[in-house]
This record gives sequence, structure tokens and C-alpha cells, in this order.
Amino acid sequence: MRPNFPVRLGPAEDALIAQLKSVGADQAAERVTVAGLPTRRVESYHYTDLKTLLRTIPPLATAANEASAPALRVPGAYQLMIANGVVQNAATAPAGVIVGKTHGGVLTNRDDLLVNVSNALTKDTLTLTLEGSVDPVIQIDRRTEGEAGHVADAVKIFVADDASAVILETFSGSDAAHVGNHATYLSLGKNARVTHITVNLSPRATTHFATNEYQLGDGSHLRTLVIHAGSNLSRTQVYPRMAGANAHADVTGLNLVSDGQHADITMETLHAVPHTSSKPLFKSITRGRSKAVVQGKLIVARDAQKTDAKFMHQGLMLSDDAEILSKPELEIYADDVVCGHGSTCGKIDEDSLFYLLSRGIPKPEAETMLVRGFIAEVLDPVEDEALNEALNGVVDGWLLANEA
Amino acid sequence: MTTPVLEIRNLHARIEEREILKGVNLVIPQGQVHAIMGRNGSGKSTLSYVLAGKEDYEVTEGEILLNGEDITGMEPAERAAAGLFLAFQYPIEIPGVATMTFLKAAMNAQRKAREEAELTTPEFMRLVKEAGAQLNVDSDMLKRPLNVGFSGGEKKRAEIMQMALLKPSLAVLDETDSGLDIDALQVVAKGVNALRDGQRSMLVITHYQRLLNHIVPDVVHVFSDGRIVESGDKDLALQLEAKGYADFDGQAA
Repeated sequence: MRPNFPVRLGPAEDALIAQLKSVGADQAAERVTVAGLPTRRVESYHYTDLKTLLRTIPPLATAANEASAPALRVPGAYQLMIANGVVQNAATAPAGVIVGKTHGGVLTNRDDLLVNVSNALTKDTLTLTLEGSVDPVIQIDRRTEGEAGHVADAVKIFVADDASAVILETFSGSDAAHVGNHATYLSLGKNARVTHITVNLSPRATTHFATNEYQLGDGSHLRTLVIHAGSNLSRTQVYPRMAGANAHADVTGLNLVSDGQHADITMETLHAVPHTSSKPLFKSITRGRSKAVVQGKLIVARDAQKTDAKFMHQGLMLSDDAEILSKPELEIYADDVVCGHGSTCGKIDEDSLFYLLSRGIPKPEAETMLVRGFIAEVLDPVEDEALNEALNGVVDGWLLANEA
Repeated sequence: MTTPVLEIRNLHARIEEREILKGVNLVIPQGQVHAIMGRNGSGKSTLSYVLAGKEDYEVTEGEILLNGEDITGMEPAERAAAGLFLAFQYPIEIPGVATMTFLKAAMNAQRKAREEAELTTPEFMRLVKEAGAQLNVDSDMLKRPLNVGFSGGEKKRAEIMQMALLKPSLAVLDETDSGLDIDALQVVAKGVNALRDGQRSMLVITHYQRLLNHIVPDVVHVFSDGRIVESGDKDLALQLEAKGYADFDGQAA
């Protein structure tokens, strides 16, 4: 089926086209002119129809004058900041960390609007080169302050062979109708060990888009965790490329959505070479009238024999008005692989709840325990104690906020 | 006469449209252990759930008094704080909830409901260690998520340990012997007997007489079709074992 021509463009698209043209990204502008924002007819946006959800795009953000306190404090972390797309000067880096700055987008081009916009609009890029065993957690504090702005920022991280690091990215800022388009490119050298966590804590008025691209070398291990705990609309795209033998990725995520929110984690993992494994595990918790989406696609290249990959998405609905949407996809060209997918969705288990109640634990506390228990599987593997505590604090904050 | 720990008066309860309890009357004085025996499907387990306040069951008539207080309309957590404990036939596995976190939450919630000070961590640790030692619940079990990966015996020991920590005035033991081998049964029975102190009362629900050799009841009741049809001393359990239920409830086996 051909899309209807010409596409009727709305104010969001007009603004986006003008912004892309203003930075000389004519090709990207042309694509928006022809196709508009992706609708549900575009498979990868099936549950997150941007044409409907994104009615306006604010002007390109200008440099921030003020800065609020960090949205999440992790004791002992080494902090870097990008404010309104501008990489800020950093404190002296700890051993094994080289901080740099460059320009332009960091994502591999692909047929995706958000990736194209990120690459076109990103000016400042923070670069990190990590060597050896990096001790402190590295926190990249990305924020959008001031009046509503459309901001694109990017981070490019190279993790050397045999190096290990824990990287936390937090997104926050002022309560205005910002649209953020955040990119991270992370490449893991041979036998590198990396934990990469992104937490969206932006105020509700904002729209949060992020794309995390990973390149895994031989024997490297990656753990990723996306937490959506802010913004009325958020979508994080996760693109791991299993490019070295014996590479393994635990790709995890958590959608925490309340009334009026829409959160989407869209993963596409490419198993490009033989003997790689990945274990995507996502959890969604919804309350009020809200929507959580997880799409997980596993692509196994023709040569990528002995791939071992299993996608799982579990949903917990705390209200009758919420929707949890799950779309696993397998695209397998090799013939000797173990790949699978599973999705579950339900309410709080009545028997578990009764067991806790029967021990005298009041209902709200018992429910909180069960929700925490549900989430534990994605938070517990975060070994750094201070970081783990901070992440649990994010979950507790969500649980306590507007309990309904 | 002192107030009985448990008094059930003409209790009727149903699940959906089906009436399961059809007029239960039972009085358990302080310090006594009563056993309820009955066939599968006679409503014994339902009685335990209705006592604990499970939502699925609707009490249509009658009342339940715990230490003289009417608990019929109370929430399960309130009943627990009032002194009721149910040892589950099948303790629930709850992944992601650490056993220690759960124990502390339960003990402190009950203390809070009774307007007592919360336990400090060292106090809590000491109590758990003591109770654990008695019931062979080692620190490895306590580190695991609640009941997850526990064997049948471990689950039952953990239940009795919870009971020891929560110190209820009435403990309802629902088929505590099911799934236990004889060694495990003895450990559990020892734990239960250690809690018989002349104050605490128990209602032991069982299918087989075997458990009652280890936890010797003061009174035995035969349960059939949603009510108590016969009561007697511990010898009644032996008669039941010898003759079967048919002699007591007139139903074919």
C-alpha cells in the first residue's frame, strides 16, 4: 500500500522541516516533507504514532543560563553535564577516563526519523574514552533548562579492550514543553565490561526521545537499563550490534507510567557474527490511563550461527484503564540458533497479596513490596551499591507520587 | 470464665454462588489446641481462609470473635495485628521480595498497629537468628527471596518461624503436614509445640491423624459438608483413622 500523497503536514512537521533546513540538513528535511512524522503505519512506530502524539515542536534550544540541582545524585560518581545541548566543562577526570568534545551526530544512519533528526541537529558531542578498570560511576547529567526548546545532544563512548565501567545518564530539566532528542553511541572493545543506564526524570510537560546504539567486540559484556520515569511522552530506541564472538548483552528496561503518560522502549538487536548471545528483559508498570510499549526485534544475520537470544517483556497493570503493548519480532537468517520471545501481562497477584496481608502488612505497603519485587529482576543486577540505591529511590519516588 | 481466644458462631460463607461453610460453631479457650479433621472438599481450608479474611469468600451469616473482638469485617492485615496467624498449606513464593525484608515489614507493621515501638535492626536480627536456629532455618534460606526455591519442608519451617516471630494468640495451621516427610514433620511439630505455652491457642487443620501424634490436640472436631459434625478428645482422631469418615458423616467414602 502506498501512503497517501501528498502527506498533510501539521505544525510540528513544519517546525521540524524549518529547523532541519536551518542547519543545512536538506535531505532530512526533504524526508519529513515527503513522509511526515511516522504514523502507526510505519511498523517501528506502530504503537507510538508521532503524527498524533507530537503536535508541536518548540524552537531549537539556546544555551542555558541557569541550572537546577542534579535530578539524581549518586554518591561518589564522576559527573559530566550537557545543558541544552552544550557540553559543559568538567572536573578533573578520574584515572582511565579521557573526556573530549567533538561536533556532529554519533548514530549510524538508518531509516528512522529520530536517528536522522539527531544526526542532523546535534552540534556539541561529548566524547569519553575509558581504559582499564574505571572506578567511580560516570554520570552524564543531561538537562534542558529554561523556555521550551527542541534540543539534540550526543555522547560517544569508546571502551578500550579489557576495560570496565559503569555509566549512568540522567535526563531532567525545567518543566516546559521541551522535545529532547538524545543520542549515545557506545563501543565496547575486546572483553570490555560495561553497564550503561539511562534514566529519564524529565518533568511531565516534556517529550523525551533517546537512541542508544552499541557496538560489541569479541568477548565483551554489556548490561543496559533504560528507565522511563518522566515526560508525558518518552521513547528510547536501543540498538545493540553484537559484532564480536562471545559477546553478550543483557538489554533491560523499565517503563513506569502514570495517568496521561506514554512510554515506549523499542529495541532492535543485530546478531551479526557467530557465537553471540543477548537477553532482553523489559518490565512495564502502568497506572491510571496510560500506555507502555515495548518492541523487541532480534535480527540474526545469515552467518551468525549459534546465536542465543531470548526477548521477554512483563507487564504489571495497576489500573483498568492502562494499556501495555508488547511486540516481539524475530528475523532470523541463520539456521542453527536458539531464539525466543515471551510476553506476560497481569495485575498484582491476589494470592501473593493475601499472603503478605495475612502477615499484618497493610495493603498499600504490601502492594509496594510486590511491585518492587516485580522490578527487582532488572534493578538487582546493578552491583554498585550507591547506584543501586539511587535507582531504587527513583522507583520509590514513582510509587509514592500521585498514588492512584 | 475467661474470654475464649476464638469463638465462631453459626458461620456461613460462600465463594461466588456456592455456599461452603454452613453454620460452623467452635470455641477455643486460651491455651488449647483444637484439631479439625475432614475429607478433601469438606470446607476445612475454606474455614482457614475465612478466618484470615481472604477476599474471595463472603461471610453471609454468623460471626468470628478473636479474644472477644468481632473480626468478621476486618481486613486481613488487621486480623493479623489482632493476633491471628494462618500457616498456609501452600506458602506462596514471591520472587523479588527478600525474606528478611518481608519479616521485618511484617513484624513492624504488627507492632505499629498495636502502637508498639518498631524493632531496631539489631533487635530484629537477634530475634530472627533465635527463631531460625530452633527451626533449622539457616541464613542461606533467609537470604533468598520469600519462599522461592524452598523445598516443601523448608517452606513449612519458614511458616512456623514466622509464627514464632509474630507471636499470635491464635495460630491456624492449614494442612501443615502436607508434603512433609517424617523428619521434616518432626522439626515442624517441635517448632509448633515450643509455642504451646498455655496462653496461645491453635487450630490444626489436617487430613491425616499422623500430625496429631506429634502435635497432640486437646479437642478433635470432625468437619463435614461445611460444619462440625462431631467433637471429642484426641482418641476421636484415632477412631477416624481406623473407621474412616463415613461413620461420622454418613457419606460414602
